[in-house]
Amino acid sequence: MSAPLRIGIDIGGTFTDFVIFCPDSGNVETFKLLSTPHDPAVSVLHGLEKIFAQHGAKNTTVIHGSTVATNALLERKGARTALVTTRGFRDVLQIGRQNRPALYDLFADPPPPLVPPGLRFEVDERVDKDGNVLHALDEVQVDALVKEIKKQNVQSVAVCLLFSFVHPEHEQRIADKLRDAGLLVSPSSEIIPEYREYERASTAAVNAYVSPVLDQYLSHLEDALPSLVSKEGAEVRLRVMQSNGGNISPAEARTHGVRCILSGPAGGVVGCEYVANLSLTPPGGKGAGVRVITFDMGGTSTDVSLIDGKHQITTESIVSGCPILIPMLDIHTIGAGGGSIARVDAGGALRVGPESAGADPGPACYGRGNVPTVTDANVVLGRIPVEYFLGGQMPLNAPRAQAALDKLADELGLSAGQAALGVVQVANAHMERALRVISVERGHDPRTCTLLSFGGAGGLHAADLARELGIPRVLVPPLASTLSAFGMLAADVVKDYTRTVMLSGETPFATLVSLLAPLTARGRQEVESEGIPPDRSRVEQFLDMRYRGQSYELTIPFSEQFAAAFHDFHKTTYGYAREDAPLEIVNIRVRAIGATEPPPLLTQPLGDEDAAGALLETRPVIFKGGKLPTQFYRAEALRPGHRLPGPAIVVRVDTTVLIGVTDVARVDGFGNLLIEVGK
Amino acid sequence: MSYDPIKLEIFKHLFTAIAEEMGTVLRKASYSPNIKERRDFSCALFDRQGRMIAQAAHIPVHLGSMPLSVKAAISAGANHASPLQPGDVIVLNDPFRGGTHLPDITMVSPVFLPPAISSSISEEIGGSRKGLMGFVASRAHHADVGGMTPGSMPVAREIYQEGLILPPVKLVRAGQMDEGILALILANVRTPQERSGDLWAQIAANQRGTERLVDMVIRYDLDEVTDAEEQLLAYTERMTRRLIASLPDGAYAFTDYLDDDGVRPDPVPITVTVTINGETAKVDFSDSAPQQQGSVNAVYAITLSAVYYVFRCLLGLDVPNNAGCLVPIEVIAPAGTVVNALHPSAVAGGNVETSQRIVDVLLGALAQACPEKVPAASQGTMNNVTIGGSLPLFSEKMGGAGGGRSFAYYETIGGGMGARPNADGPSAIHSHMTNTLNTPAEALEYAYPLRVIRYSVREGSGGKGRFRGGDGIVRDLQVLVDAQVTILSERRKNPPYGLSGGESGQCGENVVVRNGKEIPLPGKGTVELKAGDVLSIRTPGGGGYGKKISNL
Repeated sequence: MSAPLRIGIDIGGTFTDFVIFCPDSGNVETFKLLSTPHDPAVSVLHGLEKIFAQHGAKNTTVIHGSTVATNALLERKGARTALVTTRGFRDVLQIGRQNRPALYDLFADPPPPLVPPGLRFEVDERVDKDGNVLHALDEVQVDALVKEIKKQNVQSVAVCLLFSFVHPEHEQRIADKLRDAGLLVSPSSEIIPEYREYERASTAAVNAYVSPVLDQYLSHLEDALPSLVSKEGAEVRLRVMQSNGGNISPAEARTHGVRCILSGPAGGVVGCEYVANLSLTPPGGKGAGVRVITFDMGGTSTDVSLIDGKHQITTESIVSGCPILIPMLDIHTIGAGGGSIARVDAGGALRVGPESAGADPGPACYGRGNVPTVTDANVVLGRIPVEYFLGGQMPLNAPRAQAALDKLADELGLSAGQAALGVVQVANAHMERALRVISVERGHDPRTCTLLSFGGAGGLHAADLARELGIPRVLVPPLASTLSAFGMLAADVVKDYTRTVMLSGETPFATLVSLLAPLTARGRQEVESEGIPPDRSRVEQFLDMRYRGQSYELTIPFSEQFAAAFHDFHKTTYGYAREDAPLEIVNIRVRAIGATEPPPLLTQPLGDEDAAGALLETRPVIFKGGKLPTQFYRAEALRPGHRLPGPAIVVRVDTTVLIGVTDVARVDGFGNLLIEVGK
Repeated sequence: MSYDPIKLEIFKHLFTAIAEEMGTVLRKASYSPNIKERRDFSCALFDRQGRMIAQAAHIPVHLGSMPLSVKAAISAGANHASPLQPGDVIVLNDPFRGGTHLPDITMVSPVFLPPAISSSISEEIGGSRKGLMGFVASRAHHADVGGMTPGSMPVAREIYQEGLILPPVKLVRAGQMDEGILALILANVRTPQERSGDLWAQIAANQRGTERLVDMVIRYDLDEVTDAEEQLLAYTERMTRRLIASLPDGAYAFTDYLDDDGVRPDPVPITVTVTINGETAKVDFSDSAPQQQGSVNAVYAITLSAVYYVFRCLLGLDVPNNAGCLVPIEVIAPAGTVVNALHPSAVAGGNVETSQRIVDVLLGALAQACPEKVPAASQGTMNNVTIGGSLPLFSEKMGGAGGGRSFAYYETIGGGMGARPNADGPSAIHSHMTNTLNTPAEALEYAYPLRVIRYSVREGSGGKGRFRGGDGIVRDLQVLVDAQVTILSERRKNPPYGLSGGESGQCGENVVVRNGKEIPLPGKGTVELKAGDVLSIRTPGGGGYGKKISNL
């Protein structure tokens, strides 16, 4: 019997990407279809039909990253959700942290809470910080509450009681009764048993709000899948990508939708991690981790993250105004991309974004709009060869881009070329700030990193950005525009467990081991239940620690030397340590990982340096120092070993890569473009 | 200076990113919930002359006042036997020498360039060594700096009662902590361990800012950076001039009142006349009350901050926060008035309460010039609550919290925002001069012998009108040990005003619930609570906007 086909699918704004790995042949194929935002399943099913028509219907695992949960939250189109709290706290989601979103905007409104006033309910009960029950739950009151909630015609209920992470019984009791009444329930102690009631309630509410939507979507997909392959007696197994870089079963995703909020971007980071670990030699030699900054610049936004040996996790995410404590890949998003609009403001400064021309009308060069965007600036600079855009399927309108930039240039009193360079520089300044947030601000020196550029718009900016930040090298993988879908194929099964314990740093090692034991056992068992054999699974243990009196924690890998590890990490992160100060262990964490076999990437021997065979033509491109004749290469014709001195431009079907005047690029054995960044 | 629209935008990002990074370091490395959870701090960058170049969007009341701290630090360096040198950190909180009120401790670090790249700086500033290129500063509200009540926000009559006064002194000399000064500070506060953690965090933030500024000069060279600073100042000034020019010329006056000064019961009037003349404005507080016996006195820095804040709001989003904003605005606040109090008045409340009223009168005046841009009055207070006492001997749990150890807890509580000309005011939120976060109930109960009984929206407290004012908050805190509570609050007698026919918001109320009975408390005062008592703070609603047309 042949090994099952593995397919990664990522739904993005404009395109749905498919990456197919056929273990028997070892081949990796990719293609893109236009997304169908009204019903994302349409393009997914259409693509699968296409694949099965070509490969035959065979046993298949589909790993899916979807924006369904994200969009439900961003557009506030989730389920009608109720919230149950301890008496006195019904407005917890509305009050939040009582701060306003914009300091100097008297007209800004805070993001609307997921649960409106009429659907907030309170119960009489109270537990203290040590788990003592001060006021027992009143069963009769809970029964009345369930009735009242049923009357309100809600689909989903979040329950968040104070200190439920030390005493979950009250939440459990309420959840049981609500579930008996047929409601989908998200008890905060199940979703994220950590202290800070607003953030915990928010996480539970997001889960309650998006899970029914994801449930509906996945049901639709699961219902339709068997018919695609049933004639041949084959089966399709569906997996869902989570925000923490792992994948889970659809059953889990349907009740834990909050784990899938950053599904697509997580695929991209995992893909980068895989590609980088294969292709780069770490600065510390073999065995040390590679250090990479991932850079995914799209049309309207740019995602960046840091890989230090492996991806970084955060538990402080805020999505659409809602804090989410669930561990997620630490991805920083800014609202600047190829479609960002350039304008001159009232004070005479050149501004780029946050307004975007989006996909419609799109940049002026798309032929419909006439406002100048970053993409138009690149066209005017001669950096995007208009006739090759999207493999020649969608030639760009260069005169329109020129006209848009001419107008901007008039306002600035500059030439169109100078204005276009300015637009690119300002856009880069935005992106540089984002790259600083995830590197220097978190104690990592970009000069020790490689910039890994993927996504459609990044290739033209990566080398210049690297130069600004002192990053010595840029890597552009051949799968650049479908790396998210590819990453889903490389993603492990990952499950996170956590609990607030609030213990002294003097707590004996053995006590911590025994506290971690139940979470560890649960992790092993749940990974195994996903069909992963024990020899392919592993468990990582962590402590969230701080100096007693601080109120934010650092996550330290658990070991007997945890105290010393904490002091060290604090020193690296904040510049000082206080080795005589008492420590506190706030949370314990366990991450259970079931390793997947990622599609192998094959390397080819390096050949001749001379890339003349891939040369399309030589044309002028505008740089800071003026117009320079620049060689344009066709990416598909490049071979391992080729060396491309700057200035040069590599044209791919789905992206364009700029090699600056002082840079030199070469093609490695994997077909990656590696740019050594000059001064 | 050559005007360059591209450089302007790029450097705006670069400078702001440094101020924000300092803030991240300060927040994450600090100890007290007041800094970490509530984020009651600000970080800013200054040029060689002490002009503010960038401030991260932290706390508005620090806006106009940070530059005065830097000026004080510079002159301290000038008059000192030891001039400013690399690695120095100057600490201060004296409201009459660069501070605002005592709990706000400011640290100022001069930024020197390494000798290799500093040769182009010829002049010496403040008697300092060559190579000075600017300053970085961080300010944080410390939960206790000594004085007559825990939390250091007492209803005092002179500054000496309010806590430890720090004139500008070098806490760190050329990278070496002055252990003597640190010991002196720590001996005068109720929670020395926490204070020392927070002071270290401020030093770490300043260090980070210093490194980043030097990196920037190495990357772009000094002339470029200096030129960018000038351009950014000119840009913000230009935007302010444009705003003022868009307002109709004329004189707009408005008066509002503080409930009282906490000592005598009489209302305290604050009056402003804003005169718009072309692209400049004169803001004159001459008709305001004289300085008061109680602690509602604002030092000049506070008044300047309030003026800055109001014009900054009218300017719109995304204009860099820098000294350019105030250039076209003349502020007249005669010495000896409640808006420019003199030594040794008590000033703890000037920063948190009077500052809000100064904003109210400014907005009230400007509503006459640009009604479409100005909302009705917001809650007009920060509802400052400080609770202090001693932990009972049995609370050894949790990492060995010392029995008998004293604690000091400080919080401010949000309320209703004023209705806007086109929308209701948001509820249960901080407005104007502060934007501090709350302390989560669960974090608070872990750290202090307190229990949160209720924290919800105070329904119906917003002023009625075509658009409703936002509702206030009800916050009920139970003390689990005997404790001393000090409240500094406003709008308990004189409600937040409505505009264009909208009704006032409801006044706030402070109450103690003891054995089931409600005992009303004054707006300002200190009270001894018994274990089990519940302190209930009900914060004001915002004013309404426009007449309600019907009751359909």
